[in-house]
Amino acid sequence: MTPGIVPPFLLDRLAQTDDPRLARAAAAARKTLALPRPPRPTRTRLRLSIEGDALVAETGPAPDRIISDAANTENLPGRRVRSEDDAPTGDGAVDEAYDGLGETYDFFWDAFGRDGIDAAGGSLLATVHYGDDYDNAFWNGERMVFGDGDGDVFVGFTRSLSVIAHELGHGVTEASGGLEYQGQSGALNESLSDVFGALAEQHHGRQRADEATWLIGAGIFAPDVQGEALRSMKAPGTAYDDDVLGKDPQPGHMRDYVETTDDNGGVHINSGIPNRAFYLAATALGGFAWERAGLIWYRTLTAGTLAPTADFRAFAAATLAAAATEYGEESEEVAAVRAAWAGVGVEEDAAA
Amino acid sequence: MPQPDSPSPERFVVIVVRSGGIAGLSKQWRAEPDPERAPRWRELVESCPWDAAATASPGADRYQWRIEVHRGDTAVHRARLGDAQIEGPWRALVDEVRHAASPSPRER
Repeated sequence: MTPGIVPPFLLDRLAQTDDPRLARAAAAARKTLALPRPPRPTRTRLRLSIEGDALVAETGPAPDRIISDAANTENLPGRRVRSEDDAPTGDGAVDEAYDGLGETYDFFWDAFGRDGIDAAGGSLLATVHYGDDYDNAFWNGERMVFGDGDGDVFVGFTRSLSVIAHELGHGVTEASGGLEYQGQSGALNESLSDVFGALAEQHHGRQRADEATWLIGAGIFAPDVQGEALRSMKAPGTAYDDDVLGKDPQPGHMRDYVETTDDNGGVHINSGIPNRAFYLAATALGGFAWERAGLIWYRTLTAGTLAPTADFRAFAAATLAAAATEYGEESEEVAAVRAAWAGVGVEEDAAA
Repeated sequence: MPQPDSPSPERFVVIVVRSGGIAGLSKQWRAEPDPERAPRWRELVESCPWDAAATASPGADRYQWRIEVHRGDTAVHRARLGDAQIEGPWRALVDEVRHAASPSPRER
């Protein structure tokens, strides 16, 4: 669907409402949904692969990447330096961002049939070389923005595919209805981005759940830092232990939930709990994690029924509902998801 | 006679705490102005809109800021701000404090 100014999920929700006060808006939404959208050029491509002895040719949508350079200022978007189909520039951050966005796009398309952030082939916008010694990467609601790091702790945020996919994942979450960036809903927003980050990396490396590192941001720490990544989905709280940074503060179970007012209520801390739940579900099911656990989490996010203020319990219930819809109430997938949430203390353990 | 060891009521300390970002790392800078910088800092502190409510910056993984001014053991000003609010006098104050806070050997 070609995107309008009102996102499709909102129109869908409005169209379905039976609140009499919104009768007129609902009728208007139904009318808008029924109208053909204006044509909009989308990029397509031919992909060739070999399956057994057969050469497989596939046409599908293609990404539309636009990378800009902030030249170490904090002015966005910066100067456009590489667009789709342009040759590599030779600038490491520019080319890493371009490649990483392409690999993330491929993951979302291959795994979930999603055409980019807005699911409608919209451009993937990124700015690199943001700020001076800037130790961060973020999503600003429109684009992904990457700092170069200070060189002492961080050596550049585009070096990690899981970081690039994490930021693109925030765009996907926002386009799907969003999760308020505060407290538990914020930690779920963070966790979904880590899930997409880890899965994009596993998809790119063709790694099964039991072969993957489940690390987020491996390769962005300077050599002196005692740590391997920003977070570990497999073992939250173990990603780093450094004399200057301190110890990774992530909990992996509700009994260790951290109450804090900083970091929007600990969104990057308590995300360890749903992160580990996803890891437990994915490894219990085995194989490629995006095929079943990933699909269940993705359906949960995009079903249009997840409240933006959902807490861990509401999200866990929604993943169980999504798994039941996709695979059936009695499926091993539902059992794996239920055991995963019990394993982190969000759901009661039925076996206990 | 002023007591040389007791803090002057004019002396103050500014604390800046930056949290959030994709790494979720908190970092704190704490500094007291040099006597010659004190008037400039006082002017900056007074020009910051301390009563302004925190507004959430759009997007995700943005920094979150907490800025406090202490006289002795008492916090006389405290504000919690989104990343997009760090501009104008806030930005100037944050830059002064970060510059003045003595860096550790591996300042991060």
